[in-house]
Amino acid sequence: MNADRETNHTMTDRDIALLLADAADGVEIGIAPYQAVIRGGRRRRARRWALATAAALVITGTSGTLALASLRDGNGVEVAPAVSQKPTVPSTPEERHVYEPQRTALAMGTYRDKPWRAAIEVWGAPRDKAEADKQLAAMTDLGLEPAGGRKAAALIGKTSFFVTRAYGDARPQQVMFNTEAKQDTLVGTDMEAAATRLGTSGESSGRLVIGEVAKTAQHVTCHWKDGTSTVAGKINANHDIYTEDPVIRSVDGYPGANWFVCVAPAGTSYESAEVTK
Amino acid sequence: MGDRKEARGTRDDEFQSFVIGRWPRLMRTAFLLTGEQHAAEDLVQSTLEQVFVAWRKVGSADDPEAYVRRVMINAHARKHRRRLKEFLAPKDDSGLVREIADTGDRIAQAEDRNTLLKALAQLPARQREAVVLRYWEDLTETQTAQAMGCSVGAVKSNAAKGIAKLRAIPGLAETVTQGGPKR
Repeated sequence: MNADRETNHTMTDRDIALLLADAADGVEIGIAPYQAVIRGGRRRRARRWALATAAALVITGTSGTLALASLRDGNGVEVAPAVSQKPTVPSTPEERHVYEPQRTALAMGTYRDKPWRAAIEVWGAPRDKAEADKQLAAMTDLGLEPAGGRKAAALIGKTSFFVTRAYGDARPQQVMFNTEAKQDTLVGTDMEAAATRLGTSGESSGRLVIGEVAKTAQHVTCHWKDGTSTVAGKINANHDIYTEDPVIRSVDGYPGANWFVCVAPAGTSYESAEVTK
Repeated sequence: MGDRKEARGTRDDEFQSFVIGRWPRLMRTAFLLTGEQHAAEDLVQSTLEQVFVAWRKVGSADDPEAYVRRVMINAHARKHRRRLKEFLAPKDDSGLVREIADTGDRIAQAEDRNTLLKALAQLPARQREAVVLRYWEDLTETQTAQAMGCSVGAVKSNAAKGIAKLRAIPGLAETVTQGGPKR
């Protein structure tokens, strides 16, 4: 035992080492999730790059300020710049979509004579407790509950998104949602997807598939349990959605990924989905 | 360009072998640190994701294991610094208790493990890390100090305090005096 090398241990120490070894055997090892590790690693790398870029912008901005501050007239007297700088980032809560989210329709259709629709809304990050309180109240009014629960303080500095599905006159339900300081950036064939239903009954369970993919993904293929499949293709950002056509589209306020929707034919449901191009 | 692609392919292969080869050992260490199956999986996966980002440097280092240990201990310590929900105390649905004791020996074995994990859970994070690295990972005090990012003296102090507390726990002392775990 190495533990014996540097200090004088008793038999009890050895027993503890054996107990530890035995306790460690109690864990279920499972298969190493290599693909998940790679996906997570790529996201971390992307976040690191994003942070590096943000830091570079801050430095550039600082240099600009210094240059303006050192403007002087012909007599060496400091003068104010003639043109004031406009802020480059939205500053008011309204401009940042703190109280009113950016909404993007993903798909809509009819099921059992009633309309259904899927959409995503992205709420900007509140900067302080007052903004967070007001944002939480606005979310609560819409029946939404953020990922951290109904705690305003947990929203400060974080962007929230909600993918919702509505059926008939009922209030939209949140299907996928998260609240994060840094949104994930998906790359390659990364995908996060969820299958839900179109209506309220279990018969349509697993027919509506919604997910996010990398900005570069052109095609997503949804495979259904009956062996058939549907391909969602990328559409323009300004395309209006009025149908249940399978599409991949960009979402306002969500720069790290595009979102897709597939709808399974009646009588079958979700099996799997993958980026195929 | 082709050479660069080839080098990347080789690195990916090396990393895959590393992940698959080290996963079981890392899982066991993480289980002792966290006391819970899913928390252990999260800790190992998060550790390996960080290793992936730095793999070009880590893979060519003399001792990649040391780097990985350091990352894992840092990640574990960070959770405590942030005061995230502590998941140490083994619950009824933990991996440990899920093991069905169908014979007397297995019941006794599960009880031993439970006693040890509960005892570990009661240690402060730094003492737990020192005990796990010294007595399970079988590291020297110097290696443990490197992994924990502290002095050898701090390792000695934390390990000694941790072991003393483990010894003082009646259930564990009883287990030890009965001759340790049944294998």
